Amino acid sequence: VIARHQLVLLTAATSIVAATAHPIAQAQTSPSSIRYKGKAPVSNTVLKLSLPKPKEADLPNGLHLMVIEDPRAPQVTMQIVIRGAGGYYDPADHFGLAQFTASNVREGAGKRSSPEIAEQLERLAATVTVNASMSSEDATLSASALSEHFGEVLDLAADMILAPTFPEQELARFKTQTRAQLMQQRSNPNFLANERFSQAVAEGHPDGRVSPTVEALDKTTRDSMIAFHRTHYAPDHAAIAITGDVTMAAALKAVQARFGGWAKSGAAPPMVADPIAVADPGVFLVARPNSVQTSLIVGTQAIRYTDPDFYGMTVLNKIIGGGPTGRLFRHLREEKGYTYGAGSQLDARRYRGTWVASTNVRSEVTEAALTDLIDELRQARDIRIPDSEFADAKRSLVSAFALAIESPQAPLTNAITRWRYGLPADYWDRYPERIMAITQDDVKAMATKYLDPKKLQIIAVGDRAAAEKVLQKLGRLQVFDAEGKKIQ
Amino acid sequence: MRASTFIRIVTIAAAVSALAPGLQAQTGPAIKFTETKLGNGLRVILSEDHTAPVYSIVVHYNVGSRDERKARTGFAHLFEHMMFKGSENVGPGEHFMLIFGTGGNMNGTTNKDRTLYYETLPSNQLDLGIFLEADRMRSLDITKDNLDNQRNAVQEERRQGLDNQPYGKSEELIDELAYDNPAYEHSIIGSMADLNAASVEDVASFFKTYYAPNNAVLAIVGDIDSKATLDKVRTAFESIPAQPAPPAVDMTEPKQTAERRLNVDDPLARLARVDFAFKVPPRTSEDDDAVRVLATILSTGRSSRFFQSLVREQQVSSGVQAGRDSSIGPGLFFVSATVAPGKTAAAVEAAVLAELERIKKGPIAGWEMDKARNNSKRTVVSGLTSSLNRATQLAEFASVFGDAGRINQRIDRISRVTAADVQRVAATFLTAENRTVVTTTPKPAAKGGQQ
Repeated sequence: VIARHQLVLLTAATSIVAATAHPIAQAQTSPSSIRYKGKAPVSNTVLKLSLPKPKEADLPNGLHLMVIEDPRAPQVTMQIVIRGAGGYYDPADHFGLAQFTASNVREGAGKRSSPEIAEQLERLAATVTVNASMSSEDATLSASALSEHFGEVLDLAADMILAPTFPEQELARFKTQTRAQLMQQRSNPNFLANERFSQAVAEGHPDGRVSPTVEALDKTTRDSMIAFHRTHYAPDHAAIAITGDVTMAAALKAVQARFGGWAKSGAAPPMVADPIAVADPGVFLVARPNSVQTSLIVGTQAIRYTDPDFYGMTVLNKIIGGGPTGRLFRHLREEKGYTYGAGSQLDARRYRGTWVASTNVRSEVTEAALTDLIDELRQARDIRIPDSEFADAKRSLVSAFALAIESPQAPLTNAITRWRYGLPADYWDRYPERIMAITQDDVKAMATKYLDPKKLQIIAVGDRAAAEKVLQKLGRLQVFDAEGKKIQ
Repeated sequence: MRASTFIRIVTIAAAVSALAPGLQAQTGPAIKFTETKLGNGLRVILSEDHTAPVYSIVVHYNVGSRDERKARTGFAHLFEHMMFKGSENVGPGEHFMLIFGTGGNMNGTTNKDRTLYYETLPSNQLDLGIFLEADRMRSLDITKDNLDNQRNAVQEERRQGLDNQPYGKSEELIDELAYDNPAYEHSIIGSMADLNAASVEDVASFFKTYYAPNNAVLAIVGDIDSKATLDKVRTAFESIPAQPAPPAVDMTEPKQTAERRLNVDDPLARLARVDFAFKVPPRTSEDDDAVRVLATILSTGRSSRFFQSLVREQQVSSGVQAGRDSSIGPGLFFVSATVAPGKTAAAVEAAVLAELERIKKGPIAGWEMDKARNNSKRTVVSGLTSSLNRATQLAEFASVFGDAGRINQRIDRISRVTAADVQRVAATFLTAENRTVVTTTPKPAAKGGQQ
């Protein structure tokens, strides 16, 4: 355990690359930052692997159970995903209620008070957290413990989900703490960039809301949380996924004993619409005085998880910005030295999601970096991906499955994804062949379809004087302050 | 060529200690490994685990920012970046491509005491990981272009992690104020001016001195055959010449005799914060385990004393964290408390100090000790499914303590700590004359200008 500020130093100050991701490849036309000597011994075999599959069962109340038996270590990790209890289903006059409700279930449950819950869990070095973000369909409980404590932790988790008490005095304390967090997050440039981008691509949709307002916090009452919990926490749209040193038989018995009495809603799972299609480009500046870097996002609406374009977009994303081998990292950092890191991300869920490229660059090179970044998108549209770069990208995606098998979390996450979108049982077994089937023409078509300059949203957070003139050249500029207010 | 080779198979389960009253035996799972010293002094640790088709390779070099000479702060970390820019048989950028292109993962990381490189790869790529690490230990390719490029990247890393973040300046200043010995007083990332001053000659000399096989530990863990792997390692590494031992760094820190204090105006911060740093003994000290238990009781989770008292009940702070830094030598025990809106830094400081007095004097509950013990057990258990975690720990214990077998003592060491030990280290180290206090005050931003 080390103090957070030390962690900031250690993580931000000392790694060769900022985040771990899973990237790519070379090319005849490969950028000058890479030179292949071709002397390292590489096995061209891609291990044929099958991810561990869960055993599954349904409780009579509709709760779906998935168990991956993994006896490697005496521990258990669990997630309970409750579809319909996330911020997507906030009341129209109370955005943030889902998040506040989820956060407060640990403030009192069953016969236990807030400090008793904390003490009981932490004495065992177990964790149970419940979250429901504003732009999520779900409330999610995540728990982990030594397997010897699994029963005790499951008792607590069941109390939190089924019998939260929402004590008034803890709500008052929660409000004080949350007010401070709402203030603090505005000092983070990446929060500000993400907030502005989400607004630009999903205004009026839950995906456009990334943080509650102080007003929404203030108007939250015990009764509003009780009502939200009663109407949105239902087992027939929920799943429990467990991995670790536990058998299906034991898990089923334990889950049935605690969650068997959870009353089903009998209703169909709630739905919302896709975010409205964005028809125009956007250029936004968030003025953050005293910034020494400009934080950039260039992004666009993209696809749903279940769209046929998912595989093509996955490969395209890998090539442009999937980690240290992506083009953005290679060009903006390794060739130009504008930044510590640059990459891209595909966010595909039930409804139309996004693709974003992002980087933080010193203020003086804002224009040069933004120009290069946008040009990467043009190249992806206009120029066929070289053979070797393309092959490496696909091989990277497929061969990364070996590492996923080592992690207890990855197969669990994959199982939940398969449940969430109703995918077939062999979905992950067939994933590699779907990736390998993608062609260079497919990827070019994806770039043309989704990286359309007429729909791109460009966000810059930083010193206004350094960025304003640059951004004005790119279109009609809207300027916001760090409080989220439009100032021009 | 094969001088002092020895192989030691360690199969001892962590020894069960004589148990303190009221706690059960918490002997952890034993990790088996072999340890071999090559003729050139490279220590090689191998540990088999066939539960996933994966292995991790770690090279732990015994060099960090403590070894930097004057006016070259940040150099150890800048050098780390150069290790990815090519060697005799690996082109610049090729390393990234080979690792990620085969489905692997990798990184490098520098702290005050060591520089660590790692790759996790599918097990059919064993030759690749060994080749890449051996080639750059043998023959780093040092060019001015590469240095200039990575200097830029590192300077952006500094801006992103420190200069463009709230409290960044305070975090750098508290070390400078607390330490007297230059080895630890400067930041790992270094100053912009010193980064600008670094030359290719510096890189070449640093490489020769510190990146020698006799100054490193190599650990390979996972789906490997130890015997075959050792043969491959010998072939790849044993002909890399040893170098004279690097100069020893004087780590001694004079005893602090009076409180040190600084106020920092921060235009990027929204809330005030109070940071404390208390000097604590090196990690190799017998008191280190008690210091860690102290941190757990004070600040781990919502049941911690700081959270319950300062955040939940008094509501003077919106968040408190505490813990010892990772340094091997004389360390700092940090407490960092954010001031809640409408409260004062003085009130937060008083509340923190009151909690420190309480733990020195008052009783420590049995559940608080259980919490610390179970925490160490959880940490050990959850590390079991990660070949990288195991390799990193084995290399670290071998390098710092000269005993990789310490990996099997982690749970029992913490179990042996008593409440009286915790009170004793709190009373000894968390004192007024042994502390440094930095208060950060949000400063209204001057329009458009620099701070």
